[in-house]
Order: sequence, then structure tokens, then C-alpha cells
Amino acid sequence: MTDILRSWIGSALPDWLIVLIAYLIVTTIVLFYAVGNFILMVWAERRIVARMQDRLGPNRVGPAGLLQPIADAVKMFTKEDIVPRNADRWVHLLAPVVSLAPVAMMLAVIPWGRGWEPIDLNVALLYIVAVSAVSGVGLMMAGWGSNNKFALLGAMRAVAQLVSYEIPAVTALLTVVVLAGGMSLLNLPHLQAGVPIMGATILCNDPAGCSPLLYTTITSFPGSPNEPVQALDLGLGWWVFTPVGLLGFVVFFIAALAEGERTPFDIPEADSEIVAGYMTEYSGMKFATFYIAQYILNFALAALAATAFLGGWQGPGVAALANMGGPWVHAAAALSAFYLLAKIWILFFVMIWLRGAFPRLRVDQLMDFAWKLLLPLALVNILSASLMVSITQWTGAQWSGVVNLDGFASWQRQLIAVIVTAIINIAATYWILSINQRPAEQEWDEELVVAP
Amino acid sequence: MNTLITILFLVFAVFILVAAIMTVTVKNIVHAALWLISSFFGVGALYLLMEAEFLGVAQVLIYVGAVSILILFAIMLTRDLEGSQNRQLTPRWWIALLVPAALFGLLIVPTVMTHAWQLPPPPAGQPPSISGAQQIGTAFMREYLLPFEVAAILLLVAMIGAIVVAFEEREQRRRVLTLAEQVRLRRQRQQQVATLPEPAVSAVQPSEATGGET
Amino acid sequence: MITETEPETTETQTTRGKVYVIDRGRPKLRAGQGLLTGLDVVFRHFRDALTRKLEKPSQQTGVFTVQYPEERLKLPEAFRNFPILLYDDETGHELCTSCFQCQRICPPQVIHMTQARDPATGKAVPAVAEFLIEYDACMSCGLCAEVCPFDAIKMDHEFEFSTDVHGGLTINKAGLNRPISYYEKIAPTFWAEVKDGAMKKLQGNMKRRPDLIGVAPQMIDTIKAKRAEVAVAQAPAPAPSAPDSAPTDKAARLAAIRAKAAAKEADAQPAPSDDSAPTDKAARLAAIRAANAARKDEAANVAQTSDTTSDDKAARLAAIRAANAAKKAAAEGAPASASAAPPAHTAPTSDTPPAASSTPDDKAARLAAIRAANAAKKAAAEGAPASASAAPAAHAAPTSDTPPAASSTPDDKAARLAAIRAANAAKKAAAQKQDGNDDQ
Repeated sequence: MTDILRSWIGSALPDWLIVLIAYLIVTTIVLFYAVGNFILMVWAERRIVARMQDRLGPNRVGPAGLLQPIADAVKMFTKEDIVPRNADRWVHLLAPVVSLAPVAMMLAVIPWGRGWEPIDLNVALLYIVAVSAVSGVGLMMAGWGSNNKFALLGAMRAVAQLVSYEIPAVTALLTVVVLAGGMSLLNLPHLQAGVPIMGATILCNDPAGCSPLLYTTITSFPGSPNEPVQALDLGLGWWVFTPVGLLGFVVFFIAALAEGERTPFDIPEADSEIVAGYMTEYSGMKFATFYIAQYILNFALAALAATAFLGGWQGPGVAALANMGGPWVHAAAALSAFYLLAKIWILFFVMIWLRGAFPRLRVDQLMDFAWKLLLPLALVNILSASLMVSITQWTGAQWSGVVNLDGFASWQRQLIAVIVTAIINIAATYWILSINQRPAEQEWDEELVVAP
Repeated sequence: MNTLITILFLVFAVFILVAAIMTVTVKNIVHAALWLISSFFGVGALYLLMEAEFLGVAQVLIYVGAVSILILFAIMLTRDLEGSQNRQLTPRWWIALLVPAALFGLLIVPTVMTHAWQLPPPPAGQPPSISGAQQIGTAFMREYLLPFEVAAILLLVAMIGAIVVAFEEREQRRRVLTLAEQVRLRRQRQQQVATLPEPAVSAVQPSEATGGET
Repeated sequence: MITETEPETTETQTTRGKVYVIDRGRPKLRAGQGLLTGLDVVFRHFRDALTRKLEKPSQQTGVFTVQYPEERLKLPEAFRNFPILLYDDETGHELCTSCFQCQRICPPQVIHMTQARDPATGKAVPAVAEFLIEYDACMSCGLCAEVCPFDAIKMDHEFEFSTDVHGGLTINKAGLNRPISYYEKIAPTFWAEVKDGAMKKLQGNMKRRPDLIGVAPQMIDTIKAKRAEVAVAQAPAPAPSAPDSAPTDKAARLAAIRAKAAAKEADAQPAPSDDSAPTDKAARLAAIRAANAARKDEAANVAQTSDTTSDDKAARLAAIRAANAAKKAAAEGAPASASAAPPAHTAPTSDTPPAASSTPDDKAARLAAIRAANAAKKAAAEGAPASASAAPAAHAAPTSDTPPAASSTPDDKAARLAAIRAANAAKKAAAQKQDGNDDQ
């Protein structure tokens, strides 16, 4: 965007102003994109959950109820803003802001299309994790500023859930960091080119070069020899098709559900249990802000999951279009944006599906699940990821002579890595699941039981 | 560009100082905690200004994301929050000002005096010494391995301590049994009773009105 | 790894009863199989909800929603909301006879009605004059429909009565009336069960309802028009000797045929003397009818309006009654009283004195004579002066130059009254004459 603007009005304005304007425009576009998706997500959630419950969902406002979110927005705008009398006014006011701002900041580093990321941070993944932790402060402020014991209780439970599930989420993302060799999100879709399972390791054997429609030149291959190689690229070399990526994706998706407070982890807003939890005393636009924050957080987490594990904007045809050069690059970018949006919506449909199917977890079940199941699986997954990277990319020197894999072709190394990590992951999953199941013998002490 | 950086630095520095002063002067302790969180943000911004992205993001992640929540929990679980009756300034406030100022001066003055302020620009093409995450990671494993391990063990000790403090023996938990568990318990008690020696004949007549249920 | 074992059941007797513990033996490793099954079930619901609707409960999936008010569920027959009154489609008569049973039994007492009365005599008629139900207090118990002996009040299925008119839920008879076809449509089996009895009772009630009392307001105009049509069609019946001038009415044709037959018989037989009353009832009837028709023809230029309908009907009714009485008297071999008894006789027995007073079983004949005389007198009083003979009202028709009074609304009751009075006068005259004869 900066370059585009530079080419248009580069002469008239100083450079920093152009940069500023460029970033402002990009910010506006990204926010509109997110809010537009938010509106559609609200509509889709209500209609899809309704169909799962054998009913129709709102279908009166606009065709098929598409204007229902607009009606909801009007309602939120026009509702009276009630602040409890003894509530801390500033804290009560700032809590929705502190909840929404980090979520919006998260959207800045996700590559929305091929070449379409607003900012390229080289610590993007860590940045996302850090920023999502800030929304926990917003929760606490909301719970405290309501002057309501139950809101405070709900806020504490919500923060406990958030903090507990941050760890498996971050550890699962650590898998991606290991596989990618860096924390930048920009590279991740590029690295997931190729074919399922085998990734981008099926190289072109023809010395004259292969068709650019099917083969992509890969240069930025971490640890690879520096000369570019051409690999078969169908845009499907997503990491979710490898055992490491599959386990990582499952762990991350479940943890993301908990981060975004979706069922079955929606204790903070369990309507039947704690009214609206930390949002109890909020009405009108402040409540709408919390609502928006939750949905856009889910949107951003789905985008992150898609980028990290499902290949992001990578898909069949993107590389082919891009390799053709010229104006086709823009077509490739548009196609890639469509792919990412499709993946996000599929993940969101799964979130809705889970919401329609499962009851809520208890708080202690929630904690058990995070600490006893997800975290060990994530740690094992890091081990597997390290093995995968070392088998596929390390030279003999890096192995320090333990095993020399230089002689194997890259696809053979990939195959070996896949098999080894599959064995490790399956064995570890089985083991962790089985030790988590309570044995059938009694565990309670007889003298202390409550008399029937 | 340099002027912009200087201006930004001044803005952030003022913000941090104001936030810190507000932290120690506001009466409401929750407000004080929130000002502290703002000062953390300020420091993170300063790190970003120095192009230490990893550090800046880590600052936000650790301080704002974890430490502040801990502080807020601690505050909210304490009782007396109406700090309005606490006097802001104690009678001997001038001692409290003098001693820390002297200590601070003792630390900072030599550092400022001996620091080389005008660093020569690095030779062209050379990457910066330690800034990227990769370099930090490598440094952790090479030059700073010992502090890394010590910090890790410290964190581990803290975690174990937390578990020990909060741990509740399973035997001490009271709960209501399900019907199946009651049946099993009753059967086991009957077996235990059956293995006991014959009890002495009781002199008291068992009343028939009371229910025989245990 | 994931195996199913037989569920084992243990049974224990406790102080509170038996306790069964069924251990279904969960699979060895729970890796989320149940979760995935649940997801599958929900997905099936989702998929089916996109394609079809749920029609009956045994079909488990599908959209359950009925988008009211565009779609409505079919209400069962026994659904009851508020009561309605029924009236017959063809005759327009309401089934309600104002028996007050529903008013008595209504628990919130929201039914109110008044009985119809005969405007001439003031006596109660089995019909309802005005009927009121306060729908807003009605509790839809259906007791009124249960208790109605005439199946006149039934429970309707309508429930969309919301209105902003205060008092808009107090419905009067016109609003409560529904044709039987409507009720048959909404509750066919219920109506089929009670149809025969209800229609039979309706027929009986119709007979006791004079004129248009008891006809639903919705149908009054049509019934009036129908009756006018019927009367007009029946009026122009041909004369017994004259050839039929294309009579359109079936009854008129029948009368004509009968008149012809009677005329033939009359020609064949000697002219009946004063005491030989023709035993052929049909012939007599036909003769009467023919004479009436002929007279009507003569008076056609005088009275062409249908105002004579009621008078004519009354006269015919009187004539029929007189003929019946005469037949009874003739069957008992009564003397020339028969001549006096049926004043509708055109035979020249009109000037023979009625000796009805001498035979006690001529009471019916006397009554008929009285009625006819009254009718004649009434008609004579209203119209032209009546003849000294016990001419019936029908006779008065040709003798009177003026058409029957415009107040031909006097129904048959008035005519009968006139006939009775005329008969009285005739009787008195006859008695005086007899006395005179006896004296002499």
C-alpha cells in the first residue's frame, strides 16, 4: 500500500506522511473487513445453530434474515447505558475498550492474501500471543468495575480459563515456530506449499526446468541449500496433513475455542449459570463492544489457525497464477484471499457445530482438560516437531555425526520424518489419554463421606 | 527521522513517568494497579522504539498479560480497598524521599558518566548484535546458558511451590456419593462388621421407632 | 483398544429397596468417540433441516418451525375456542330454540339470549330473538355445546380475535351465526354423529315457527325471495274446465289434473244434494283448489299482487282443515252438517243451515266452520261486505270488489279468527233459523 501511494502522490507529500496515510488506509480496510465478517458471522451463527436445532432462525428482517445483525446493532445503539451507582466509573468505561483493542491489534499481522499482510513483524506469533493476553486485563476490569460480586466471580473464572488455555495454545504455536524456523506469519503460507503430507519435497527431475504451473521455485527453505529448487506445488502442503501439524492443530483449535470463550468453554458467559458473567452490568453499546470483541477474537483465532496449520492463503492454483507473472499476480492474491476466507469460515462453522452439539464444561473439568491433556500433548508435539525439522533439514554436521541423512533425497527424508513423528504422536496420545482416565477403584475415604 | 524518534521517545518517557507517579499517588488501589499496567505498556513501547521487538512483545506478554493479572487478583481478593482514609504522606516523608534518591544516584551517576553516548554506527552489512529472536535464542544457548537454566529452575520451583501450597489431599475432600457407591460402601462395611469379633450384648434395648438406616 | 464388554448388573437389597447397578463397561480408551458421534447426530439434524420440514414426530429431523401466520397447523376437530350458532343452509332456519340450557350451564355466565315471540299472539316461539356471547370472558370450556339439546351451539376453531375496539368481543346473533356447511367442514365426524337428530328437531321446530321467525338474519332476504318465487309459481294454476294455460308450477298442474278428474266424476255422478257430501277427499280437495284458482283468476285483475299470498295460504289452510273435518264428519255419516261444516264447499249446500249443534261429535266440524266463518268475516270486514251465508274468506275473494285489505299481512291467524267469527254468526243464524223452523 505504501508503494502504491508513493507512486501516486509521492511528489506532493513528505515520505512519513505517505507512510502514515498508507497505514491508515490499510487499517481502515482491515477493520472494515473484520467488522463485515463479524456481521456475517453473527447472522450465520444464529441461522446455523437454529438449523441444527430443527428450527429456522431469524428470517424476517431482510432476505433470509440477513439484516438481523443491523437490527441488533440498532438495538444496541439505542439502549440506555446503565452504570451501577457504586461502580468505578472509569474502570467500567474502559473495560470494553481494553477488551476490544487487543483483538483489533491482532488483525494487523495476519496475511490476508498473498502479499496482503498489513505489517510484517518478525515476531508476529509472539505478538499475537502477547496481545491476546491483554484482553484478560480487560476482563478483570469489567468484573471489578461492575460492583457486582457475581461479575467479579465470573471475571476471575474467565481469567483463569484464559490464562490456563494460553499455555497449550502457545505451545502448539511453538510447534509451528519450530517447523517454520521463525516467528513470522508471513512465511508460513509460503512454507506450506506442495502436496499433502510430502510438503514441497517432490522436486523437479527435469534439468530443463518444469512447468511453472505445477512447480514452484523454492528459495527460502530454512536450512536448505541455497540454490533454488523447483518442487511440485499444488498448494496443498499444509502442515495439518502431517502428524505433527495434525496434533498441533487439534490442540491449538481446542485451546482457541477456550480463548474465544466458545462452547463448550463458555463458562464466562454461561447465561444459565452466572447471568452474563463479567458482562452482567453492561448494557447498550458497551455490551456490544464485548460482543464484537468476542466474535472478532474468534475470527482472528480462526485466521491464525488457518494460517499456521491449514496453509493460510495457500491453495490449489495460487502458485500457478502467481508464477505467470504480470497482472495474474493480483488474481493470485485475490484467489488466495478467497482461500483464507473459506478456511476461516469452515473453522467457524466447526465452532458453531461444536456449540450446537456440546454442553458446557465445568470449571474443574476445564482446568483438568487444559493442564492434564492439552499441555502434555502440546509438549510431546514440540518434541515431534523438533525431530521432524532435524530429520528433514539438518545436515550431517548439525547432527554431529549421530546419523547422516545427507544421502537421502528430500522426499525420502520427509517420509522418514512423517513416519517417525506419526509413531511418536500416536503413542504419546494413547498414553496420555489412558493415564487420564480415572481407574475404576474407589478413591474416596470412607470415614469422610457424607452419610446418605 | 531522528527528530521523530526523539519526539516519540520523549512522549513515551513522559507517559511512563506520569503513569508511575499516578501509581503511587492515587487513593484507589485498583486505579493504582491500572496505572501500573499503563506504565508497563509504555516500557514496551520504548523497547519497540529501540527496535528490540522481541523484548517489547515479551514485556507486554509477561508484564501486562501475566503479572498485572496476578496483581489484580491479589488486590481484588484483599479486603480493605477504601484507601481514602490512608494518608498519602507519612510524617517523615522527607526521609523516604532522601534515601531512595541517594541510592538511585549512587547507581545511575557512574553509569551515565562513563557510558559512551555516541556509538559509532555499525559497519555496513553487519547484522545488529543481539536483537532478533534468533540471536536471542542462540545467545541463551551459548553465552547466557547459565542464567537461562537458573531462571528455568526458579520458575519450576515457583510452580511446584504453588502446587504444594494449593494442594488438597484427595482424602480430605468430602463429597456426596452416588447410589452405586453407597451400595458398595455398605457392602464393604457389612463385610468388615462380619469379620469383627462378637460384640458384647448390649444392655440398652434398641428402640424400634428409629429407622434402622445408617 | 476400544472394546465393548457386556454390561454387568448387580442387584443389592438395601433398607430402602433394591438397588441395581448396571456397569456398561465403557470402552477401554476414551478418545472422544462419543464426542464425534454427537457431532454426527447434530450434523444430520443440520443437513435435514436444510431440506425438509418435520411433519410428524416420528420423523426426527427436519425444520420444526411453523411460520405463523403464513403457515398454519391443521387444528384437530376437537379443538375448541369460542362458540358459534348454527343455521341450516337451505331453509335458513337457526337451530337454536332459545331453551336457555347453555345460558344456565355457562360457568362465567357470558351467554345471554331472549326468546322470540309470535308478534300476533305474544306466545313464545321455539326460536331465539337475540343472542349475545361475551367472547372476552368466555373460557372455552365447551359446556354450552355439550348441553345443547338441539345441537345449535358448537365450538368454533377460530382464535384470531384480537381487536382494539373496546367491546369488540361481545358478539351478537348475526356475528355468531354460521351455516351448517361451515361446521361440517371443520368438524365432519362430530356433525355426522348428530346430524340426523338435529335436523329432525329442526324440522319440528320449523313447523312451530310462524312466518320468518327463526330464520337467520343472513338468510332472511333470500328466504323471502324464495318464498315469493314459490308463491308466484304456484299461483297461476289453471281452471278445472279450462285447458291448462301452461302452468309452470307443479302443484298447480297436479291440482289441474285432480280437478279434471273430479270434474269428470262430478259430471258422471248426479249433482250431490245437500247432504250427500262427496266422500272422495281428493276430489273435494281438487275441487276446492280449482275453485280457488278460478276465483283467483277472476280476481286476477283486481288483485295481482302477491299480497294475497298469505290470505290465500290462510284460506287454503282453512279449506284443508274444513275438508278434513268434513271428511271426518262424512265418515261418521253426519247429515247435512257436512254442508255447513266445510264452508269451503262450493256445492250449493251453503244455504242449508248447519245442524252442527245437534251432533256433538261435530265439534271439529264446528270448529272448522267457526274458523272459516271468522276468516270470512275478517276478510269481509276488511274488504267488501260479506254475504249472509257462511261464506268463507276464500269466497269473499270474488264477492269483494276491492282487493283484500292492504293489511294482508294479517297472517292466517287473523284469517282464522275471521273465519271463526263468521262461523259463529252463521251458527247463530242457523240456530235462529232452526228455532224458527222448530217453532213453525
